Amino acid sequence: MSLTRAIAIAGFVVAIIACAVVEVLARRKDSTIPTLGEVCAHAIAYEVGRVPIGRIGFFGFWWWLGWHLFAR
Amino acid sequence: MEQPRTEVAVDAPRGWDRAVVTMPVLAFLSLIGGQLPSYTTRANVYTICLGGSMVWLGLSGRVRRPLLAPLGPGTAWWLLPIGIFGVFEGSTFLLGTPEYPTFSRLADPLLEDELVRSAAYFAWLTTFWALVRR
Repeated sequence: MSLTRAIAIAGFVVAIIACAVVEVLARRKDSTIPTLGEVCAHAIAYEVGRVPIGRIGFFGFWWWLGWHLFAR
Repeated sequence: MEQPRTEVAVDAPRGWDRAVVTMPVLAFLSLIGGQLPSYTTRANVYTICLGGSMVWLGLSGRVRRPLLAPLGPGTAWWLLPIGIFGVFEGSTFLLGTPEYPTFSRLADPLLEDELVRSAAYFAWLTTFWALVRR
């Protein structure tokens, strides 16, 4: 395995571990950090006028991600 | 002094909108999705139809839950993992070499195994369902 490939793998692993650590910290009692689900809920609720920009953006991205990983 | 309470009217959950009903359905759909190899018409149609159904459910607001408390000051901590992932995904995408692969290129060989593919499909669908219900 080349050094650059190892760096890429390490970077993604660190990002996933950091995500798990923040989620664990968020689930402690009296934590000021919201869980990932709470952050997503607020971002999804974003609207411009009557257009649900947050919902369209999140659903569109997740739809594309599934297609990108499992179909294309 | 007592703060005025804000009351939010919430529709009663539908009979089918329970984990005991939805999880087996999502697991069954994931098992089917896990059998369909990439770059096939079947996989494209299946994923697009499933995702489209989820988007329709999400935009129609049939299973939406009310917002909870406002976000606290600790929200900024989420920028750390998102930033790390963004830096590596962005740099690997821009350089675009097999020796410095993107996240999806690293995942492709793992997703060739049907069991791993079904598990990943289940993770994608359950997360989609969680987003739709937000």
